Amino acid sequence: MQTEQLIQSLIEEVRQITNKAERLRSLDYGDLTWRQAPESWNILECIEHLNLYGNFYLPEIERSILISRSKPENEFHSGFLGAYFAKSMLPKNKLNKMKTFKDKNPLNKRLDKTAIDRFVEQQLRLIHLLSQAGSVSLNKVKIKTSISGLIKLKLGDTYQFLINHMLRHFRQIEKIQTTLKKTETRRNLHVL
Amino acid sequence: MREIIELSDKTIFLERNEFLKVAGSMDTNIYYVESGALRVFVLDEFEEQTIRFGYRQNLISSLDSFLGNRPSGLYIQALKKTVVKRIRKESFDNFLREEGNRVLYTNILETLVLQQMEREVDILTSSPRERYQRVLKRSPQLFQEIPHRYIANYLRMTPETLSRLKKT
Repeated sequence: MQTEQLIQSLIEEVRQITNKAERLRSLDYGDLTWRQAPESWNILECIEHLNLYGNFYLPEIERSILISRSKPENEFHSGFLGAYFAKSMLPKNKLNKMKTFKDKNPLNKRLDKTAIDRFVEQQLRLIHLLSQAGSVSLNKVKIKTSISGLIKLKLGDTYQFLINHMLRHFRQIEKIQTTLKKTETRRNLHVL
Repeated sequence: MREIIELSDKTIFLERNEFLKVAGSMDTNIYYVESGALRVFVLDEFEEQTIRFGYRQNLISSLDSFLGNRPSGLYIQALKKTVVKRIRKESFDNFLREEGNRVLYTNILETLVLQQMEREVDILTSSPRERYQRVLKRSPQLFQEIPHRYIANYLRMTPETLSRLKKT
């Protein structure tokens, strides 16, 4: 794939994700913290889960770009593992459940709207890192994964993985909102 | 202006703080602001610097992408609920094939150059009071349309300084 094209489409995806996060600000605290079941996440927890990943990956990407002496290349080729990871993150039509690592699980953490502020800040940082990505090789720069320092992904795959992961949880947020609306409607009908 | 607005092929609705464009993207469109307000800014080391505003009946674009066909470091963000009409560069280029339209375009560009010069003098003016007065005199409407903390940033002063200047 053409590197420039890839970077452009990734930036556009992050722009849309940022705007979705901005729209969440207008929800009240009750909606943001509503959960369908005791073990399922509320909206703020989904956001915080993404923040926990950002906390790990953004400094890693920043550092790796800074120390890299690689030259940009016209073409990007996904690695075997990278393509697999990125693809596995994409939400399927019927949102499939995935296991969460314990240190990335924000269930019942005390959260408020600042989680959204932190998320938007991270997106601006990511946009900044994407706009810098054109100065290094998306193939040669390798990023440690949060699973293990021994497993590394190409920078280009890491961006895609990170963004697909956000898409997945924004799908989850949409689902929470739909379920909440249905529940409220049912409750209102009951009162009537 | 009407003939330019008619070139638009899409209406975009933005909530407050939503981004029309972010840094690094190549956005060659022109946008006509139907309602609301936006700001164009850059972010360096995570400090924002507002470059321009757009409000009702203004055209706004990332000029470096539009003119240079290259990615631009600018952000364009809605400051309130905003509706813009998108005009694609190709439609605009087609529009410019007509002689009369090129005259209009030259007019727009000349106005823009003059505005940029005024802005350059603004930035080089060392007295905050003078910077404030220049902009107030030139665009009184700005102070009706744009939240003042963004105007303060545009004027390179703190919101406190701006509100003190407004009182005196």
